[in-house]
Amino acid sequence: MRVSLFVTCFNDTLFPQTGQAVVSLLERLGCEVEFPLEQTCCGQMHMNSGHPREGLALARRFARVFADADAVVTPSASCAGMLRKHLGEEGPPVYELSELIVDRLGLDDVGAYFPHRVTFHPTCHSLRELELGDRPRRLLSAVRGIELVDLPQSDECCGFGGTFAVKNAEVSSAMLADKVRAVLDTGAEVVCAADNSCLMHIGGALSRQRAGVRTVHLAEVLASTR
Amino acid sequence: MSFPKAAHVTLQDAQLRRNLAKATGTIRSKREAVVSELPDWQELRAAGSALKDAALADLPALLATLEERVSAAGGHVHWARDGAEANRIVCDVAGSAGVDEVVKVKSIATDEIKLNEALADAGVRAVETDLAELIIQLGDDVQSHILVPAIHKNRAEIRELFARELDLPDLTDEPEALAEAARVHLRRKFLDARMGVSGANFAVAETGTVCVFESEGNGRMCTTLPEVLVTVMGIEKLVPSWRDMEVFLQLLPRSSTGERMNPYTSFWTGVREGDGPREFHLVLLDNGRTDVLADEVGRQALRCIRCSACLNVCPVYSRVGGHAYESVYPGPIGAILTPQLHRLEEARSLPFASSLCGACYEVCPVKIDIPRVLVHLRGRVVETDPAWKPEKLAMRALYAAFASRPRYEQAQRLARRGSPLAKLPWPLSGWKSTRDLPVPARETFREWWVRERGDQPRRPAAAPFDPAPIGPEPMEDADGADARTAVLDRVRAALGTGAAAVAVPRGYRRRSERRPGEALELFAERVAEYRATVHRTAGREVGRLVAELCSERGARRLGVPSGLPAEWRPAGTEIVEDDGLGPHDLDALDGALTGCALAIAETGVIVLDGGHAQGRRALTLVPDLHLCVVRAEQVVELVPEAVERLEPAIRAGRPLTFVAGPSATSDIELNRVEGVHGPRTLRVVLVG
Repeated sequence: MRVSLFVTCFNDTLFPQTGQAVVSLLERLGCEVEFPLEQTCCGQMHMNSGHPREGLALARRFARVFADADAVVTPSASCAGMLRKHLGEEGPPVYELSELIVDRLGLDDVGAYFPHRVTFHPTCHSLRELELGDRPRRLLSAVRGIELVDLPQSDECCGFGGTFAVKNAEVSSAMLADKVRAVLDTGAEVVCAADNSCLMHIGGALSRQRAGVRTVHLAEVLASTR
Repeated sequence: MSFPKAAHVTLQDAQLRRNLAKATGTIRSKREAVVSELPDWQELRAAGSALKDAALADLPALLATLEERVSAAGGHVHWARDGAEANRIVCDVAGSAGVDEVVKVKSIATDEIKLNEALADAGVRAVETDLAELIIQLGDDVQSHILVPAIHKNRAEIRELFARELDLPDLTDEPEALAEAARVHLRRKFLDARMGVSGANFAVAETGTVCVFESEGNGRMCTTLPEVLVTVMGIEKLVPSWRDMEVFLQLLPRSSTGERMNPYTSFWTGVREGDGPREFHLVLLDNGRTDVLADEVGRQALRCIRCSACLNVCPVYSRVGGHAYESVYPGPIGAILTPQLHRLEEARSLPFASSLCGACYEVCPVKIDIPRVLVHLRGRVVETDPAWKPEKLAMRALYAAFASRPRYEQAQRLARRGSPLAKLPWPLSGWKSTRDLPVPARETFREWWVRERGDQPRRPAAAPFDPAPIGPEPMEDADGADARTAVLDRVRAALGTGAAAVAVPRGYRRRSERRPGEALELFAERVAEYRATVHRTAGREVGRLVAELCSERGARRLGVPSGLPAEWRPAGTEIVEDDGLGPHDLDALDGALTGCALAIAETGVIVLDGGHAQGRRALTLVPDLHLCVVRAEQVVELVPEAVERLEPAIRAGRPLTFVAGPSATSDIELNRVEGVHGPRTLRVVLVG
């Protein structure tokens, strides 16, 4: 299967290892991965902070860049949601990583090995916008060596919300405090999610508190092998 | 004050944080339990959402029908362009009635227009009778939740307030004792009240019927005992027909209090000879609603049925509380209603008071896409921000970078040069107060790709800037016209010409699939869950059973409606026929014995329609004990079956009362206390 990677501006700049993990994982699963270098941003930040014309223009730009793609895969639930909601039929078919693996490749087990105690934060856009359901958890459950522990109140927002985290920094921090407490209660050494933006937020507090818990994107867990 | 500043204050109140977390968590799990037991919840949501849209699309005609039907049933309909106009109407009615005090049912519409202050200026005292509203009024406080306005107060604070304001130095902080104090204080007010004021949860256009959903019985008191009743209702509260209530009777209680049904729901149509107020005024309020209607994205906020489910699931609300929203409409729904109802200028920070997590949309019983409206309103705020605003400039620069690959790659290189330890400018500094920032990677993903895989052929260059569609035109002012014409004109203008009719999907259950007999068992079980007791008997034993129940409760004088079957009457108990007893006479009775119109198994509800063996509404309200005889054939399983059977009664203009257990309140730390203003005891005698 030929797959076009939309890595997202955020991962491109801050978390290249996530993009690399997607490439190595999908190639391991037999996909042919291409990366259109013209790609930039899906427009989510503009769209959600009151600049809909710019947001939509960037989404349409994405659609033109990926016009020839059979399937676009992206390691970000919120960017996938943005594109699906605002482009609809206008754009190419966009899949969040776990959707592509479970729905298109028909796999529950990607043959990964990750011997760590992991808790999974399902993120708001994964849960309520894309309705990923148990896809990421199914994939994680099949990982060898993993010890997957439930996150209490997992469906509650971590408080990121894009510009919300800076415009309402105090409320955002109050939400984050509860999320971090829940993470620490699990005794996990790794917090995993399908979106690096939420992970950057949770990880920012874990790092500030020297909590000894790290954040790892779903793609990186699934790309790990023995 | 902006939302972040107001939130800064409330976030520091540890007691408030604890009260809120406990309260929202409690209602949230109650809601989940009663929503998940319905197999057709999503179908009900779809119908509820479409019904409200259908009503909005046909608003001018429906408003005219409502007006006509209410007038035909002896009521007076008034139109109010804004709050001041509505307040004037209510004050005038009070003036004509010659009252210096009115009893009020909790109504957010009247809070919105500051009716109590207007009445006070006119020399009329408004007495709030909902327990939470009483707490707010006595403490000169502000509501912080739609359903439980005093959610921010704990029992110790309430005790102190009551002890001081109601002069009860020995009062304890037990919720039962506090509810009892309110009962005693307000009973005197109810019995002597000459004018009542209410809001409305819904109004049925085709029949001219208005309704109030409540728990404590104060709503029934205010809408049945006084001679004069004024109801202030937003023009968006309409539903087209009586049968549509079968949807909202299920959606509202389960979403709001997390019950299958709230204790009392009252429907009335104009005035009814010998039952309830002799004078009824309905005030139809615009006050910004037509502005909301004019916004094609924002108008879905007018579907809101004020259940407050969105508040209880909101991670922002549950940490900052209602006061931070500085409006009578707090929480997510407030964040989209307040800026639309009033001027955007006064609430510019509210559309940003959300992380767009979507929890509100998921629970909304009428499917208001709150995140979508928030984002839309953010656009309206930004549009009117000055061009030099740093944030606007930054977003423009970012757009320029994202719109072309060379500029984007240049920006990436620049970002890498910045030091992670550098002090960030506001508002980015807010991030670093509690969180570290990741360091930009030494090699971006694309640099890695090019190094590893080479530079693939480039596709056509970046897209040109796409201009956005132009927003709706500002509304023309309808000055000079009378209020009725002005409001209807504004509604028509807001809807424009292209308001298409809305199809209503009715995929929810409308017919029982249970065997006869099963519904009866279910009814007995569900009534008992409200802590009413159910006593089953064969037909001829009713009188004896009633006598037993009376002696158990020490009830010596029982009020009955005329026409009560002779075999129901207990021996050894004094029977007083209700031939128009005054409120004080009713209060002197030990109980009331009636039949009912029908009963609903799934929700454990008894419905009274003033028909055979039921008498008028006050009879089953004022005495402290209600003995209700239900015959087996009167029990239906589903709400829609009941609504269908009640259609003749509602068309005949008879008032309906839905009763689910004894009156109750959860206004004190969400502890349920049975028995506030309505009967504290409900005994159901199930015959057959």
